[in-house]
Amino acid sequence: MTDKKYLETHEWYSITENNITVGISDFAQGELGDIVFVTLPNVGDEFSKGDSMVEIEATKTVAEAYAPMDCVITEINSELDSQPEIINSDPCGSGWIVKASINNLDDTGMTYQEYESFIS
Amino acid sequence: MNDLLTTSLFKFHQDQNSKMIEFAGWQMPFSYDGTIKEHNYVRTASGFFDVSHMGRIYIENKEIVNLNKLICSDLINLDNTKALYSVFTNEEGNALDDVIFWKFDSHIILICNAINRVKITRHLLNNNITHKDVTFDTSLIAIQGPQAIELTKQLLDTPEKFSTNHNETFTYARTGYTGEDGLEIMYENQHTDKVIDFLNQNKIKPCGLASRDTLRLEASLPLYGFELSEKISPVEANLKWIITNTEEYLGKNKIEAQIATGKHKYIKKFTLKSKRIPRTGTIVKSGTTSGVVTSGNYSPVLEKSIGFALFDSLPESDLIEFDIRGNLLEGQIIKKRFLS
Repeated sequence: MTDKKYLETHEWYSITENNITVGISDFAQGELGDIVFVTLPNVGDEFSKGDSMVEIEATKTVAEAYAPMDCVITEINSELDSQPEIINSDPCGSGWIVKASINNLDDTGMTYQEYESFIS
Repeated sequence: MNDLLTTSLFKFHQDQNSKMIEFAGWQMPFSYDGTIKEHNYVRTASGFFDVSHMGRIYIENKEIVNLNKLICSDLINLDNTKALYSVFTNEEGNALDDVIFWKFDSHIILICNAINRVKITRHLLNNNITHKDVTFDTSLIAIQGPQAIELTKQLLDTPEKFSTNHNETFTYARTGYTGEDGLEIMYENQHTDKVIDFLNQNKIKPCGLASRDTLRLEASLPLYGFELSEKISPVEANLKWIITNTEEYLGKNKIEAQIATGKHKYIKKFTLKSKRIPRTGTIVKSGTTSGVVTSGNYSPVLEKSIGFALFDSLPESDLIEFDIRGNLLEGQIIKKRFLS
């Protein structure tokens, strides 16, 4: 698995062979506040880079998570149905949101250091 | 946020690493431990809110007859030990502000929304009501929750519900904005350190404005600027129970006409079973009756979305449909309070 890369829209992704895992950054979960609902896509759903894949409702506001590259969903984190707060407590680990197979590799996200300076 | 007003508890908020936000010209705590955690402190134990940004206005009782001409409730016949929730009305019968009065033998403390403090003091001035704005000399905290009364007994004598009291240091009432029992306590700023020591010793957790909002919503209480405004009357906001003023007051004819005809806008409570939250501004329909969500959020107790919506007229049906970012979702108008 590659190191996580980050998008300006505050998702992270990591690549394993031809698959990506996607979540939202610690900064993003902190800005959203308590996450209460997550609307996940279905396995098999196909997204183009920049498409909205996930809707995250928090006490403060609602946010979307966007596809980092063209991909097809292969797995969703169904734990989030009953415990959406995992994204708050462990956004970069057990709070991952979807896994997907890559249709068109686009590994242009920011490194952690670049993302840190982007949000500061 | 340098030019914002701060309360006497500002250093405490900083020491707690509270997330601070701008609210009505004040720098106020948004949350400390997280909105839902703070919500649950108040629902299950106790929590306190720094609400010193709210206006506090001292008015002598000799002004009461004139004051009573500006509100829709009967302040004149209220006992001198009671607190009263009411609305300052305009000529249209709509709300200039919703406020609490604490009545004592010699004077009244009027507590108004921070955002309306200047408007209300001007309104008093324009109506020749002598008053003194003591907002900046005093602090106001709300200690709320099932343990609040037991914990505050060592500090002060507990009044009956919706009653007032005072001692050398504190002026207070058994009121609040959370649906829980508790007190709202005013004191001169010099006593803040003593108050913070008391709160710390008793492990009364600090709660921010975010949980104050989810708590008031779950308690079915309106928020000025959302469920009440200069375009919304207390009748429309489902507050007929506070309209007790039998004397003349500003906008009385409009309010009485609304009550008599039922022809007015309607604020209604709703719930929905969806993973989406209808936020302020979301369009909602009840048959052909249109409405807009005034407040909407997640209820930690009910574990679902709840809120208020303002309909143009009496909703045709309790079954309603929200348009949330292009998704049509079904919800339900409810008559009872969100929490029984």
